[in-house]
Amino acid sequence: MACQLSPAWQRKAVSPGRMEKIRDRFLSDAPETEADTETCQVIPFLLDNQALDWVTSNLCEVLTERGHDSTLYPLPDTVEPRDRLANTLREQAGNAELCLLPTTSAEAVLAHAFDHLVLLVPANLDAVLAAYQRIKLLAEQAHTPEIGIVLVGPRDQHAAWRFFRKLAVGTLRYLDVPLLNLGFLPEQVVPEHAPHDHHRNNFLTRISERLLRSEFYSTLPHEVDQANV
Amino acid sequence: MKLCTRTTDTIDADELRTLLIDAANELTGGESRLLEARLPWDGYPILLADAQYHPVLVSFDPINSQAALLNGLRATEQVATALPWLNQVYDALQKQLRPPRLMVVSYDPPPGAEALLAGCPDLKLFGYKVVRIRQEAGLLLEPVAAGGETGRDRPAEREAPVVTTAKEERPRTGPVALPSLSEEEKNYFRQL
Repeated sequence: MACQLSPAWQRKAVSPGRMEKIRDRFLSDAPETEADTETCQVIPFLLDNQALDWVTSNLCEVLTERGHDSTLYPLPDTVEPRDRLANTLREQAGNAELCLLPTTSAEAVLAHAFDHLVLLVPANLDAVLAAYQRIKLLAEQAHTPEIGIVLVGPRDQHAAWRFFRKLAVGTLRYLDVPLLNLGFLPEQVVPEHAPHDHHRNNFLTRISERLLRSEFYSTLPHEVDQANV
Repeated sequence: MKLCTRTTDTIDADELRTLLIDAANELTGGESRLLEARLPWDGYPILLADAQYHPVLVSFDPINSQAALLNGLRATEQVATALPWLNQVYDALQKQLRPPRLMVVSYDPPPGAEALLAGCPDLKLFGYKVVRIRQEAGLLLEPVAAGGETGRDRPAEREAPVVTTAKEERPRTGPVALPSLSEEEKNYFRQL
C-alpha cells in the first residue's frame, strides 16, 4: 500500500533562499572566540498578553536557582538602537548570565531583530491564530528568528501537543518556518488555578533545561566605539 | 483626582516640531520613520518615510499658513530633484524613487486651500490646536477638507482628529498591522 502523508504534514516547496539560509547558519557557527565573552546573552519572550508575565518572572527565578544567574528586563517599546540596548542590559543585569526580555509588542521584537524568540501562547484556538499571525509578520522580515513555543494553560500534555502541532504544521506549511517545542505549563499550575502550586517549578525547570540545552538565546554586542562609527 | 485641561493658542516652532515628530505615524497614516528632523531649507521642514517607504515632507509654521505652504512647495521641488541622492542616503526609502507627499500644518488653512487640495492629490493640509494637560502638551490635528474647513467645522463622521502628546523622550515603535490570512490559512485554523 502506498504511503501518503496528509497535506497538512507536507512541507511546502523549498524556497529559493532556503539553502543559503542553512549555509549561512552553519557558516556562522564559528568556534567561540575571546570576543564572544564580551557579549550579553538574552532571551526575548513575546507574550500573547500582559497577564502571562508571571511565566517569565518565575522562569527567571528557576534559572537562578539552578545556578544560571538571571535577571528580568521588560523590553521597552521604544526605538532603541541594538547596541544601546546591550549596554543598558549590561548595566541593569550586572554579572547575570542571562537576561529575560518579556514584551507583548511584536514591533519591539522586530525593531531589535533577535536571533531567537520564545512565544508564550495560551492554549486556545484564538491565541494560536494570533501567534501564527505574529510569526507570519516575523517571517516577512529579511531575518526570521528561531522561534520556540511555550503553551500556557492546556488541560494536559496531550492537549498541549495538539495546540503545538496545529501551530507548527501551519507555520511549516504556509510560511516554511519550523518551530521548537519548548514545553508547556498545564492549567493546574497556572496561578489563577493554584497560587502556590509546587509542581509549577517542575514544568518551568523542564522549559529552562530545553532553553539552555538548545542554546536558545540571542547574543547582543557591546556598544560600538564611537570612533569606529 | 482633578484634571486641569486648557487649550493654548500660540506655540513655539520648535515645540510644534517636536509634537509633529511624535505624531508622525498619525500624519502619514501608518508606521513612519524620521529621516530628517530639520531639513536645512526655508522653514526647516521635517522629512519622513511612510509605511510604503515613500518620502513625506512636513512643512509647518505655528501661525503663518501661507509661509508653511510656500516653504513646503519649494522643499517638495528640491526633494523631487534630489531623489536619487536621497535614496542613496536613506535606506528607509528602499530606492523606490517615489515623489514626496507634502503635509502642511498651520493654525489656519492657507488662502486658496480649496483649489490647492482639488488640484494636488499628494498635498494634505492640517490645522492644529495645542492642548495642555497639567504640564504636558498635546497636539490636536484637524485635516482640512476640500472645502477649506478644518475638522472642527465638519460633521464628526468624516475624519477623526488625531491627538498626540509630547510625553515620550524616544519615538515609540509604531503599531505594525498584522498580515492578513488567506482563505486556506483561515480554514486551517478554524478548528483544532
